[in-house]
Amino acid sequence: MAKTEEQKGPSNGLSCNTIQFPFSVDIRFPGDLDYIPAVRKFIAEILQVSNFDSKFAYRSEIIVDELCTNAVIYGCRNDSAEVRLGSTIFEDHIEFTIQDQGGTKDHLRRLKSAVKRTDDIKSESTREEGLGLEIVRMLSERLEVVIDEHDVTSIHVTRKREDERKGTNVVS
Amino acid sequence: MTTKRTCIEIQEVAEAQTSAVLHLCGDLTSECIKSITEAFDSLIRQGKTFAIADMSGVTLISSAVLGEFMGCRRRLVEHGGEVVFSGLSLELRSQLNLMGATKIFRICTDIRSALNYYRWEIERRSETISVSFPPSLKLVPPLRQLVSRISRQKGYGHRDSFRIETIVDEICNNAVEHGIPGASDPVDLSVTIDPDKIEIDIRNASDPEKAASLTAMLLPDNGEIDKLKPDVRRGRGLTLIKMLSDELSVDCTSRGTSVHVKKIREE
Repeated sequence: MAKTEEQKGPSNGLSCNTIQFPFSVDIRFPGDLDYIPAVRKFIAEILQVSNFDSKFAYRSEIIVDELCTNAVIYGCRNDSAEVRLGSTIFEDHIEFTIQDQGGTKDHLRRLKSAVKRTDDIKSESTREEGLGLEIVRMLSERLEVVIDEHDVTSIHVTRKREDERKGTNVVS
Repeated sequence: MTTKRTCIEIQEVAEAQTSAVLHLCGDLTSECIKSITEAFDSLIRQGKTFAIADMSGVTLISSAVLGEFMGCRRRLVEHGGEVVFSGLSLELRSQLNLMGATKIFRICTDIRSALNYYRWEIERRSETISVSFPPSLKLVPPLRQLVSRISRQKGYGHRDSFRIETIVDEICNNAVEHGIPGASDPVDLSVTIDPDKIEIDIRNASDPEKAASLTAMLLPDNGEIDKLKPDVRRGRGLTLIKMLSDELSVDCTSRGTSVHVKKIREE
């Protein structure tokens, strides 16, 4: 759905009114649940202006909410801790990276086990505990966790576009 | 240090010296009033005027106990403090709402949120949110909404929030439109907010040809408002920011242009 329009002159032939895929938006916010509603809406709006449909945007918003909430509750151990949400938007999929300073050893163990868990080995108790990640898993194609030597925890999520509006690498 | 009481337990908070968490459990009936009163008296004596009442183990709050909490709150407020409830079950929260108590007591989801509220309200500590985005005008509306929502969430009024939103819109549009044509360098927006003011910083890879005119526009009393012609559609951005903000400065270097705006809370 690329449109021709009067260009403002940039050397690459694209106006500042356009978005060229892929692009990245990186946001850092304090470890406080107060910020999450605004951040999830921000991501949904970014996706909508990038020509993703509202259902896709809403489901992505849920992923962001769940992972950022976990990052704030379990991954921010001091009052100066912050959460980084990196989003890379491609024309046919999106990738999120949520990074925090890492929780306690027990939280990290639970996180790793929740990410690895498959549907057939779930028990009633684990189903309750890992609800957030279960929803993320349902709504995404890839979910993985990386914990570095300083316990900094990064969760990577990939979600593919569901609608039919693909086929251009520029939105104008 | 933890002190055992009959139905209430006091926990000190190391990183927040004038606050303490009161862990309560079970049914809070009139039998608990004495120990609640003693706990609050003890806090006031210790200079801990910000109390977080952790209700995660509470199953019932009688009206007599609620009345006692109101009295305790009044005493803390007289000492410049506050009492907030955290960890309330959905049912208890609904009951407090029906009684109108949520208009008196601040309700926080958990102890962490209550401590954040303490740092915000009592320590008046600032918080920073930063966003890095590609130079595209399409992304400006979500950005302005983001900052507006945050300011409202943090207690700023509608008028202040709308003015902040307008400032963000203008400086982001300028950063995108007047950046180096075709540059892929991201624009960096940083917002630092505290209970009294908001400071917005934006940095882009700027076009050096436009830097001089930008600096000239910021000279004091250059009469740019008078120069604006009604038939000219563009060029009012910086003038508008100057009108809406309390401080505006621009720093142009070879690495890019940084704009700093400070807006003091009015409401």
